[in-house]
Amino acid sequence: MPQLEASPEIDFHSETYRDAYSRINGIVIEGEQEAHDNYIQLTELLPQHKDELLRLSKMEGRHKKGFEACGRNLKVTPDLDFARNFFAQLHHNFQSAAAENQVVPCLLIQSLIIECFAIAAYNIYIPVADDFARKITEGVVKDEYTHLNFGEEWLKAHFAEAKADLEAANRQNLPIVWRMLNHVAADAHTLGMEKEALVEDFMIQYGEALSNIGFTTRDIMRMSAYGLSAA
Amino acid sequence: MFGLIGHLTSLEHAQSVAKELGYPEYADQGLEFWCMAPPQIVDTITVTSLTGQIIQGKYVESCFLPEMLASHRFKAATRKIINAMTHAQKHGINITALGGFSSIIFEKFNLQQIKQIRNVTLELKRFTTGNTHTAYIICRQVEQASQQMGIDLSQATVAICGATGDIGSAVCRWLDARTDVAELLLVARDQERLQDLQTDLGRGKILSLDQALPLADIVVWVASMPKGVEIDSTTLKHPCLMIDGGYPKNLATQIQHPGVSVLNGGIVEHSLDIDWRIMHIVNMNIPSRQLFACFAESMLLEFEQWYTNFSWGRNQITLENMDKIGQVSVKHGFQPLLL
Repeated sequence: MPQLEASPEIDFHSETYRDAYSRINGIVIEGEQEAHDNYIQLTELLPQHKDELLRLSKMEGRHKKGFEACGRNLKVTPDLDFARNFFAQLHHNFQSAAAENQVVPCLLIQSLIIECFAIAAYNIYIPVADDFARKITEGVVKDEYTHLNFGEEWLKAHFAEAKADLEAANRQNLPIVWRMLNHVAADAHTLGMEKEALVEDFMIQYGEALSNIGFTTRDIMRMSAYGLSAA
Repeated sequence: MFGLIGHLTSLEHAQSVAKELGYPEYADQGLEFWCMAPPQIVDTITVTSLTGQIIQGKYVESCFLPEMLASHRFKAATRKIINAMTHAQKHGINITALGGFSSIIFEKFNLQQIKQIRNVTLELKRFTTGNTHTAYIICRQVEQASQQMGIDLSQATVAICGATGDIGSAVCRWLDARTDVAELLLVARDQERLQDLQTDLGRGKILSLDQALPLADIVVWVASMPKGVEIDSTTLKHPCLMIDGGYPKNLATQIQHPGVSVLNGGIVEHSLDIDWRIMHIVNMNIPSRQLFACFAESMLLEFEQWYTNFSWGRNQITLENMDKIGQVSVKHGFQPLLL
């Protein structure tokens, strides 16, 4: 049986790498900024968890600074316009739900989808990152698990009344995630990250979260693959 | 708690099972989708021993398919196995058998070098290939099914296809040491390993498959192949006992010749019904009682609370360990499937 091909040596300073990095780095910085803002906005919907949410928000702010340093280290200017467009639809859905005081879709978007996406992407990135970014990302990914945990715990405690809303929010938002992934697949590939592995890791993380909240394996298989084939 | 990591035999099989179980999101998908699909625990299992002891287990579907190897999707294949193992460990399973291609992929792609998967450190002592029990059961099938067919082992030639593999080499060692089988024919792809095996055994003829088949009274199939081989049954000896221990099957042909008997190799029958669904899915004749011997090994390790990777690596299976697992196999009520 043939062996796995060795991963090609990555030149972190090549034009091609840095060009792709400008968009991926932009996405990560914008993602952490949106997470920071989203957690602050969630304090209005969940005032009893204000302290915890502000603590999470501060962590996201620190992550953003860490990733800005990663870009500077490679002398890359993050493409933040690209990144804002990248998140536009999820951002819009979060804002619409928040405006209607709907906690469940907000938590699904921020605490489950975005956090699971971040955890999957960071875990896939760590083995192919430059030394500087690897250390930063390793620290960040540990924090992200605690953020995911906040959403899981709240949704678990309110599972019975949140279930239908979660399913609806999943149907609305998961297809957006697959489109986002497709949109950056080529840049991620340049950084040594395969789309297949990203999707699989996302589905594992998201499936685990749904399981912790109270969904059955049958629900999870249906929900976590929703819209993937059409993307 | 014991665990089983398994997979289906082909994309077509996977699609039909997903449809049957009511997972349309998986049923309509091609190989691309299965390359991205995460592992799932799709069955919980209760097994009662002949001694009355009751244990619980879980079946982890890895979503690996043999087509991933055939189409060189090696990264996907290795991800499936590592992720399924991580899933089993995360769910607190003490001892999990790596069924079908899982252990072969683990070994061939040197996956023991991958220790950290996301936030989990893999503990390899929680896993077993189950190959010691499989090899033991196949040897018992050779001994007992040959008797059923009136083949005298002391006069018989036994061909082992896949002789240099973990199971194949153990079968060779057992047949050499524990039976008076007249002749061993060693068939495998790697000539160097074949030479080493022949030297270790101090006997056995190295032949190609085409050369070996017409000479054999008994053929043991334990090669790892994504697809089975076609056999012309008129070229075989009559009578001939074929023990097919491949998963997917090594034999692509449905042999319907009166002089040739085909037995599913490495399969055990339990004395009591097992409460599960997965053996229906892999088309066992008596799904409540029949199962792969490698899966049974994790049950035996759970019954005996031997929480260790009893079978691991390549060509490490000893006759002593085959005896040891054989004794507890009988004790808890497992028997080799016979004709």
